[in-house]
Amino acid sequence: MTTGPLGSGSPRGRGRGYDWLERHALQLTALLTAAVLGVMLYLPVGVVFAEALFLDGRLSLAHFREVLTDPFYFGVLASVFADPLAVGSHYASLVDWILAGFPSFRMGLFGFTAYQAALSTVASLALGLPAAYILANYEFRGRRTIRSLTILPFVLPGIMVAVGFYAMFGQAGTLNTILGVVGLGPFRFIERNPLAIVIVAHAFYNAPLIARITVAAWESVDVRALETARSLGASPRRAFADVVVPQLLPAITTGALLTFIFTFMTFPIVLALGGLQLATVEVWVYARIQRLDFAEAATLAILETIVSLALTYAYLRYESAQAGMSRAATPPPRERLFPDLRTVLEPRRLAIVGYGVVALVVFVGPMASMVIGSVTDGSGFTLRHYEFLVQRQAEGATYQTLPWPAIRNSLLFGVATLFVAMPMGVVISVLTTRSGRGRDQSGRWATVIDTLAMLPLAVSGIVFGIGLLRGLVFGIPLVGGWRLQVTGVVAIVAAHAVAAYPFVTRNVSPLLADLDPSLVESARSLGASRYRALLDVELPLVASGIVAGAAFAFAISIGEFSSTVILASGGDTYTMPVAVERYLGRRNGPAIAMGTVLLVITGLSFVVVDRVGGRFERD
Amino acid sequence: MTDLTLEGVSKLYEETAALREVDLSVADGEFFTLVGPSGCGKTTTLRTIAGFEEPTSGSVRFDGEEMTGVPPEDRDVGVVFQNYALFPHMTVAENVGYGLRFRDPPAGTSRKERVSELLELVDLAGMGERQPSQLSGGQQQRVSLARALAPEPSLLLLDEPMSALDARLRETLRRQVKRIQSELEITTVYVTHDQAEALAISDRVAVMHAGNVEQVGTPKEIYRRPATRFVAEFVGDNNVFEGEVLERSGDEIRVRISSSEFVLPDSSGVGDAGTGLESGDRLTFCIRPEALTPTAETNRFPVTVETSEFLGESVRVHGRWNDTPIVLRLEEPPATEELTVGFAPNGAHVVEFDVDFDAEFE
Repeated sequence: MTTGPLGSGSPRGRGRGYDWLERHALQLTALLTAAVLGVMLYLPVGVVFAEALFLDGRLSLAHFREVLTDPFYFGVLASVFADPLAVGSHYASLVDWILAGFPSFRMGLFGFTAYQAALSTVASLALGLPAAYILANYEFRGRRTIRSLTILPFVLPGIMVAVGFYAMFGQAGTLNTILGVVGLGPFRFIERNPLAIVIVAHAFYNAPLIARITVAAWESVDVRALETARSLGASPRRAFADVVVPQLLPAITTGALLTFIFTFMTFPIVLALGGLQLATVEVWVYARIQRLDFAEAATLAILETIVSLALTYAYLRYESAQAGMSRAATPPPRERLFPDLRTVLEPRRLAIVGYGVVALVVFVGPMASMVIGSVTDGSGFTLRHYEFLVQRQAEGATYQTLPWPAIRNSLLFGVATLFVAMPMGVVISVLTTRSGRGRDQSGRWATVIDTLAMLPLAVSGIVFGIGLLRGLVFGIPLVGGWRLQVTGVVAIVAAHAVAAYPFVTRNVSPLLADLDPSLVESARSLGASRYRALLDVELPLVASGIVAGAAFAFAISIGEFSSTVILASGGDTYTMPVAVERYLGRRNGPAIAMGTVLLVITGLSFVVVDRVGGRFERD
Repeated sequence: MTDLTLEGVSKLYEETAALREVDLSVADGEFFTLVGPSGCGKTTTLRTIAGFEEPTSGSVRFDGEEMTGVPPEDRDVGVVFQNYALFPHMTVAENVGYGLRFRDPPAGTSRKERVSELLELVDLAGMGERQPSQLSGGQQQRVSLARALAPEPSLLLLDEPMSALDARLRETLRRQVKRIQSELEITTVYVTHDQAEALAISDRVAVMHAGNVEQVGTPKEIYRRPATRFVAEFVGDNNVFEGEVLERSGDEIRVRISSSEFVLPDSSGVGDAGTGLESGDRLTFCIRPEALTPTAETNRFPVTVETSEFLGESVRVHGRWNDTPIVLRLEEPPATEELTVGFAPNGAHVVEFDVDFDAEFE
């Protein structure tokens, strides 16, 4: 240590051990995170792979051959997989099919899953793009609120949305009540056309996502670019096509890709609304697990994961290719939506009103119906659904699903998830953003870490659930008679944390990346360790992202269904979504009441997200 | 008391070299400036000294002590960045006091006293409770300087600290930095792309170009006796000529450029390496605008005037002689489009020459 020109600049005295700990705190957290991910994410996924790849202890592709050549799973493609080299005959049958005028054909389970995902994507675009157009181009009361509400579906548990759709479209649902007033119905919407209802439910989730991404792109169009195009002679329509559309397309494509991925992996919605006759891959995997047919479940899960990983990879590549698009200084001005009463009758505004009605039915209807449904029955106001819950709590047998343990478990797991997911998410953000790596290191490692860390987004809860169950819950034998076994609460919290931390990372990373790297460098040259610089400088400045990430993590945990339903089966570690699913089908009233409780709790965490999201001004 | 040595420091990013075998030594208490165009490696050099980047090869030593591998927080350096890098969530006083969380203030002073001492030093006494955002750019940069100096670093590193400020403020602040530096006698490395600033403020200057140090010297040496064509053209206005040696006799070199002949003194930068210089060799020399005057009696040639800029105390005239761009400093704007100028032989400085080996062996 050298000395300063005015005297001695000696480091403050502190214990050696503490000093060492502080210097290495970041590395230690990173190691712990890697350990949790290794044991709780990669190991279970590996177990699923092993389950699918080994037959009687030997490496075998028999499971895959069986599934791939089964028309039940792959429809007409099964014969292609059965004999991939017979190109001639496949080609001939394709020509025959075209010549016959595209008759319907057997899609198989995978084909159907992709088909419903494609329909859901189209429906989400059809519902989302008009919303984006209105939000980006018109000024009206509540515009900002609606814009921030588009984040809500992210935190809504799928099973609860399914309950909402029952309350809206069910035989005793709101829509039938309204139609009954004018003497129509009742219609059996869900029973008669489950696919349509499932697709609308998917649109409920994904249309806001598409709208959100598209509005953001629309608002980042620089009005000066439009004005330049106009001054160079472009008509308004032409300027829109040449300036606005090229900036919207990447956003729309991103939204559509994400929607397809999400709906390809859909589970609770289809399970609750469609049942087995409308099974997607995910639902079928769940059914196989319940019949203890793990090998087949694992094989299906692996095939599904390969598809969704390929899609996610395409999405990430696409997203990174779009990165660095200009951020606007001045977005185009917004028009008043309804300057006066007469304008309501203009065709354009009539269309907007019409869209508003549809949006009301699809987006507001299910949630409102659920709340209303929880306090009404056919004859009017009632509290008997809630009374049932209270009574069940008081008198129910231990093997029955009780409301209070579900609520308590959900809250407990949510809080525990926070404590695990926050440090994981933050440390991954730090490791993958520039301010953490230092300017001189190449981005290659960061990309690798980023991809590995984002795996939970591409691996469905079901796959993960089987892996956990077969691997850690049943136990993995280690050398020396030890067993690696993680069960019950620990397994569920770990599963939730693994599902939740990407949301922490996604909220913290952009803010962290925006921080001036010289802030950390200043702190370090003044004597702060890397960890102290994180604590003193970076974390306070990205506080909004951290709180938003925490709210997301909490909401994800509260709403997580897929892996919880597997891990909680048979035990008393069920959560609110699991309880809702168990009530649903037997007694809709209590399920709706339970769903309302779930809505209130997720709604609260949404309020937190909204309160802090983007509010914190740095300069 | 600290001196600084860089020996053979190279820095490679993937395939490209940001620094190539840089050797520098900065004496204790010296104000040393790294100057060069953007991408020349000056900032990388500074960051290597601070420990934000590790050199690919070579050694960085403070007082002879090897610093490679020592993290920035243990190097005892103060750094001031171009964009101030003040912690926006802390007050001015908290910013200045941040380094004192890790290092004790000088004996006999409390942390609080040290902070107000430093704020006084940079003429911001009483501003401690303000938020950084409430200060002007110049004030923020002074807070940043006070923060860097508070823990009494052995080295002060300044990375283009004035670039974000307007011209007038830059000059005021630069005098203030210089005053504080000589008061504290702290070894200082200053990075700038502004050659005028480098000449004005430094004890010694290193001119960098494409990862290499082109020349190290006092401002006077750099300006008057540039070692390379790059330095000649980068530092100040200059006129660069390329010609062929006609004859070398006594203490004179006669040089031909197209059809004109010029006479240069033999001592003008050729040095020992130039002993082999003979007729037929190529030679590059430069003449500062102020040495190129209409009244000079020797080495005269005609210049076609293209533009003239009124600078107040003088007029800068851009013109052309054949294909060579010419810049002049005159007291009055030229009255005609064509004027004849000349220079005294000792006004020229030879920067490069190329001994023609083929000619020697013929």
